[in-house]
Amino acid sequence: MKKPFAIRAVLMSGLAAAALTACAAKTGEETTVDEAAASPAPVTATKPPSNPLRNAYFGDLHVHTRNSFDAYIFNVRATPDDAYRYAKGQTIRHAYGFDVRLTDKPLDFLAVTDHSEYLGVLQAINTPGTSYSTVPYAAELFSDDLRVVNSAFRRFGDSIRSGQRVPELADMSATRSAWSDIIDSAQRNNDPGHFTTFIGYEFTSAPDGQNLHRNVIFSGSKAPATPFSALESQNPEDLWRWMDAQRANGMEALAIPHNSNGSDGRMFQRTQWNGAPFDADYADLRMRNEPLVEVTQVKGTSETHPLLSPNDEFANFEIMEWYIGSATPITKFAGGYVRDALRAGLEFQTKSGFNPFKFGMIGSSDTHNAAGPYEEPNYFSKVGILDATPERRGSVVPEGKGDWHSYSPPDNIARYSTWGASGLTGVWAEENTRESIYAGLRRKETYATTGPRIRVRLFAGYGLDNGPLTREASLKNAYSRGVPMGADLAAKNGSASPTFKVWAARDPDSAPLQRLEIVKAWTDPSGESHEKVIDVACSDGGAVDAASDRCPDNGAQVDLKTCAYSQDVGDAELSAAWKDPEFDPSQNALYYARVLENPTCRWSTWDAIRVGQEPNPDLEKVIQERAYSSPIWIVPVERS
Amino acid sequence: MREPLVHFIIIGAIIFGLNAAIRGPEPRSDSGMIEVSEGRVAQILESFQLVSGRAPTAEEAQALLDDFVIEEAAYREALAMGLAEDDTVVRRRLRQKVEFLFEDEAAQEPATDADLKEWLAGREDQYRLPERRAFQQVLASIDRRGVEAAGDAKRFAEALKTGARPEDMGDDTFLPGAAGLMSQQEVASLFGEAFAQGLFAAPTDGWIAPVPSSFGMHAVRITEQQPGVLPPFDAIRSRLEADRAQQMRADRLRQKLKDLRDRYDVRIDWPKDLAPAMAQMEAAR
Repeated sequence: MKKPFAIRAVLMSGLAAAALTACAAKTGEETTVDEAAASPAPVTATKPPSNPLRNAYFGDLHVHTRNSFDAYIFNVRATPDDAYRYAKGQTIRHAYGFDVRLTDKPLDFLAVTDHSEYLGVLQAINTPGTSYSTVPYAAELFSDDLRVVNSAFRRFGDSIRSGQRVPELADMSATRSAWSDIIDSAQRNNDPGHFTTFIGYEFTSAPDGQNLHRNVIFSGSKAPATPFSALESQNPEDLWRWMDAQRANGMEALAIPHNSNGSDGRMFQRTQWNGAPFDADYADLRMRNEPLVEVTQVKGTSETHPLLSPNDEFANFEIMEWYIGSATPITKFAGGYVRDALRAGLEFQTKSGFNPFKFGMIGSSDTHNAAGPYEEPNYFSKVGILDATPERRGSVVPEGKGDWHSYSPPDNIARYSTWGASGLTGVWAEENTRESIYAGLRRKETYATTGPRIRVRLFAGYGLDNGPLTREASLKNAYSRGVPMGADLAAKNGSASPTFKVWAARDPDSAPLQRLEIVKAWTDPSGESHEKVIDVACSDGGAVDAASDRCPDNGAQVDLKTCAYSQDVGDAELSAAWKDPEFDPSQNALYYARVLENPTCRWSTWDAIRVGQEPNPDLEKVIQERAYSSPIWIVPVERS
Repeated sequence: MREPLVHFIIIGAIIFGLNAAIRGPEPRSDSGMIEVSEGRVAQILESFQLVSGRAPTAEEAQALLDDFVIEEAAYREALAMGLAEDDTVVRRRLRQKVEFLFEDEAAQEPATDADLKEWLAGREDQYRLPERRAFQQVLASIDRRGVEAAGDAKRFAEALKTGARPEDMGDDTFLPGAAGLMSQQEVASLFGEAFAQGLFAAPTDGWIAPVPSSFGMHAVRITEQQPGVLPPFDAIRSRLEADRAQQMRADRLRQKLKDLRDRYDVRIDWPKDLAPAMAQMEAAR
């Protein structure tokens, strides 16, 4: 060693600067945010013209970055700016060290939705010189030993489950700073006409571990000074009342619940928080604030469960049966799935005259990597270093562990193996701007996909013309004489069914479509609900069998050695004009569209064949990607 | 050295050291004396108040200071024992702080127009708006026509060349029959990548077929072409400024770290099995 003095001098001045910066609860780890803050929205081509007949836009409304406590702890350092970069098609660095990039098209819109609880706090703990960094478990949280980390991190999970803030982390300065960065980043990356951002966050309520999480999406460029978190109250009703107050202050927002599958029946339980029965005020409060539900994401798809829909042979899709972040199994499926809740809503409507579960559908990823894994062949799961490699997510047998006969993954890895490469939100909107897309979300003219950019339209009305929805005149006719997905249709007296016009187009870069279905739910005169799945259009010229309401098998194949799928089977576009032969104008009913692709390899199969292994025999080898439209609700005629 | 408590003590001690460096000399005797300045006491009491929302009682204040004194003693002990030396967590954090300082020191003087124009030179492609094309297309649907689609699309093109109207031909589809100016990426998001490539490689005079897509075979005519264009300087000025500043900061950090490293003669004792290969590599450098 030489020149020891020089070293010391540099070190001291560096440390001084670091400590000073830390006073402002800034982090010393990455400084790109501050720098980028100076740059305005990117310059792009002129804004495309608005389309009154609306285009489909695709986006993700559920994305975490390093600001989330459970992302930072697993080495995620990607910023909100990185999340937007990824969505716009650029390359960012994964926590595990590899690059990630959408191989498919860029997204049209994105919301960064970090957990409001301990927002920015883990980073502050990891920044020497902050008051946060003096908590006694700081070193354990950032130990090299993952077991030590997990053990120290447990207090955060306990805090979320109990709703009690860890007392030594009551200082809100890190949260305010991170929240302000999130808002700045959304503003900076919003590019009207080309790419839309929303200010948002996740309200992380999980009483007793039962998942009641919601994402809150703001419509505009203004947001409250701090988000309302589950450490203020775990009761979603308090969140909605807070949102009402923000709205009164000119800050419109909506909340979107997710992972009802991890709530053990509590997300759509049929009573208020305090156990009181629902009433019209409650239904208003909920629907005013919560018009949508996230039906599919990485941690499983919550449309329905095979036990709830025994006659729906496509119900068994990417089912997740554990509490979130835990090995506790779910025991109660009713109240945890969307179709079941939609039915419950009809029952309330029939018996009590209000409907607290009248929501449209969206899909999102819930990535904690700032990068959604929407594509089966390009999957990297969602929790930083935890599930970054095939071995860590249970799709490949680790070296030295033999094969699937001798190896079975530990519990946590087995759970990751059931997660899926999902999902996206489709919105029908005039143009790619905040105003237009938010209005689409509000009117529930939305649908969910499990990853592919499938387009789906659904209209219902009386006296619609006979033309296809692909013709401008007929589309105009459908909008003017009928209603689109997400809306109500008033039934007319007499037995005639309205016409349901439904259409779907494949993702040009994914598999062709196999079938187009209508899911119907209704209540009988006693107020009990029922459901039915009816195929309405089949690929390859197939005819729906009248007895089973099903399309014939189109024979699509997947080669499990290469994941190549049939190119000559399936359709690029499917459409139908369908009338319900059992239509009863006096019944409460709803109808939504479901469209299925031909089978393709699941991500776990891709992982396995890449390293020359057999796919994990406990997992589905192929899946059928799909899209779910928001329902159309029938407002029945008065019974005479 | 895996004991978290030890890490904690060391890190705490180092932070204290930092604070000492900023706040001026904290009288610290080499002869076993620990003095705590008034400013330091105030800071300790303040941080208690931040967390608890009230000022500490006299007993609590005494306990806080007792704990601080133990921390200081342990810190000195840890330094005397050289415990910070081989602790990766401590070393990594210190390096982080130094890098942060280096980045922060980088010149952030506002760039002049001349600076930015110099920066732009040779980088125009990054700032250019992509080529855009407007077109008409007629689809021969793969769903309806199967293997006939390519031949049918060619027939469409022949008819269109001789005056047939595009709106009278082809199969129903949501794909626009006439599209305004779109970039290749925008076209791909509707028609798929293959069609977008075909369209942007197509000659710009008259109908051609077949151009394949995921929906079938198309007859296509380019109606307008707008070459990629560099926006006016003023429109991209702030982006240039941000990009340049970021690059300069990265360069500065790299240079500073290199300077730092160059102050040392470095000798690495490679394991025997690696030594020849490493020597060869060194020679090649």
